[in-house]
Amino acid sequence: MTDRDGAIAAPARGFLRDLRRLSVFTVKRLAALFLTVLVGVYLTILIANMGGQVDELRMVQIQSTVAEQVRADPAFFDLSAQERNELIQRQVQLEVDRLRLDQPFIVRSVDYLQQAIRLDLGRSEHMHSDRGAREVYWIIVERLPATLLLFGTANLLVFFASVFIALGLSRRYGSALDRSVIALAPSSAAPGWFYGIFLILLFAFVIPILPAGGMVDVPPPEGTLAYAASLLRHMLLPVTAMFISTIFISIYSWRTFFLIHSSEDYVEMARAKGLPSGLIERRYVLRPTLSPIITSFALMLIGLWSGAIILEQVFNWPGLGTLLFQAIGHRDTPVIIGTVVIFAYLLAVTVFLLDILYALLDPRVRVGTG
Amino acid sequence: MASEPLLRVEDLRLHYRSGNGVVRALDGVSFDIRRNEALVVLGESGCGKSTLAKALMRLLPRNVQHFSGNLLVDGVETMGFSEERFRREVRWVRISMVMQAAMNALNPVIRVGEQVAEPLRVHRGWSARQARERTAEVFGLVGISADFLQRYPFELSGGMRQRAVLAMALVTEPDLVIMDEPTSALDVLTQASIMNALKRIKQELGTSFILITHDISTSSEIAERVALMYAGQLVEFADAKDFFGEPAHPYSKLLMASVPRLHQEETPVHIPGQPPNLLDPPEGCRFAERCPSRFDRCDRDPETFRIGNRRTVRCWLHAAGSRV
Repeated sequence: MTDRDGAIAAPARGFLRDLRRLSVFTVKRLAALFLTVLVGVYLTILIANMGGQVDELRMVQIQSTVAEQVRADPAFFDLSAQERNELIQRQVQLEVDRLRLDQPFIVRSVDYLQQAIRLDLGRSEHMHSDRGAREVYWIIVERLPATLLLFGTANLLVFFASVFIALGLSRRYGSALDRSVIALAPSSAAPGWFYGIFLILLFAFVIPILPAGGMVDVPPPEGTLAYAASLLRHMLLPVTAMFISTIFISIYSWRTFFLIHSSEDYVEMARAKGLPSGLIERRYVLRPTLSPIITSFALMLIGLWSGAIILEQVFNWPGLGTLLFQAIGHRDTPVIIGTVVIFAYLLAVTVFLLDILYALLDPRVRVGTG
Repeated sequence: MASEPLLRVEDLRLHYRSGNGVVRALDGVSFDIRRNEALVVLGESGCGKSTLAKALMRLLPRNVQHFSGNLLVDGVETMGFSEERFRREVRWVRISMVMQAAMNALNPVIRVGEQVAEPLRVHRGWSARQARERTAEVFGLVGISADFLQRYPFELSGGMRQRAVLAMALVTEPDLVIMDEPTSALDVLTQASIMNALKRIKQELGTSFILITHDISTSSEIAERVALMYAGQLVEFADAKDFFGEPAHPYSKLLMASVPRLHQEETPVHIPGQPPNLLDPPEGCRFAERCPSRFDRCDRDPETFRIGNRRTVRCWLHAAGSRV
């Protein structure tokens, strides 16, 4: 309650000063972040097209596809070889015009960049969504919920569990519980899929009580409740695998973080003042360290978008990690670029929101930037 | 109750574990302080002064191995208090403190006024408005404008922050304020003005002060009693005028001789050697190694002897005095 009282009583002049600095800061940050996205996406375009070399592969592909189509089409059976070749040439030319392959790659790369920045992700070259759509947008959007659900659940669980357990452990520094959790930290050396394999062996084969993979039963159960129950059963093992593989190292690092910050002089001062320990933890440990905690939380949220290739493979989970893996395998440039563009935008938006949050949370940032 | 001192410390011991063994940071410290009295605790760096300040507030390090002794506040033994009772009844209610690193003693993300007012809200359950008004008064007392209530700590200069921390220590009108090196990070002018503020506050509020410092000249301005520490022990405890006029312990004598003075030709004396390692303090007198008056008995740990009414010395040279 005291927080509010203090804030309201702040002099209005100071508030206006803060606001002006904040807006200058905001514009600068937005410009810098936009540039970052631009550079990131352009680099991806260059790399995914191998600096233009993919065009040669495309040319060969177009020629063979067109030739195949023309030869296989009964309507063109009575054409002479010459006519047929001309027809093939014309068709190839049409396709080249459509893709503008006659222009230098560097010119087209700028166009690609413009489209990507406008979130016009285009059509894939080979892949299609489960519903058969060729739009990159739909291919990605179809996979998104699966990834967000699985990784969101696991990471949120790990994040909140580790922060609160760590806070408790930092209070009981050196206790038996503290030492045993620290001793377990090396368990995070193995990745989630490694534990996943053992969990599948154990709970899907030795004691077959849970499904070995997939997202829902086949065929999907009717009714929302039954569907959710089936989904939950399928999520249990991968979430557990991820939880086991990250929880201890996460607790360990947060505990160290809180230990460092709870030996600050102002925390000791708060103890000397006779404040109750709950208040000390809230106002003197958590409050001043909120910026790094939120940063870590936000980066964790962004991390969700990329999924995890191997874990998704092990659990046969239809997520974005698998998608990107397949897209690279098929050299499906638009899908690769689309995934990266969305990721770059998310990263930029998150970083921007974080900057604003820092300014709101920490008076030193707010005033110091002017 | 008039004879009962405000705070009596008896045989205070605090040992803590370190990577190399047990550090005996406080090893049998006894002294007392009366109402409206200023006690200066002197000593070299690492002799246990800051540990003493924190031990009086029961702010123990995480790796504490042994903590014992008696801490009587107005004749009431507080060592048996539970953590919760000690927090409610002693901290900031009877005894408050200004910590050594007063620069960092303020939470960077909370307005100064709020932090200073906090003990009133917690210990007395005052409303925010009430607490703010009282805080503004105390700010006046320590010489800061009430405008600073709404500032954040980083917007204040070092001297201002020090005053704010002092205001925080005074806001609940405790009987005793422990100050650990309150002015050593400040320039001389600021030091002087804070010492003056302390004197005025002592007069106006009748507060007792324990001033922990290695700065003999500044502390002599306010000191009424002096306790000198060496290697985790109290070697001399006396009235300020006796201590500064005629130090009794060999270490006190050398220390006084080492203070540079204006208008004096002699070069300040330097005490050869270093204080002993508190991990494994020597048997017998801990100062013996550096002591010019050392003799046979110094191989045994000296007892504390009383000289006159108001002075105790931990040294065999004064074995003529009565034992404490």
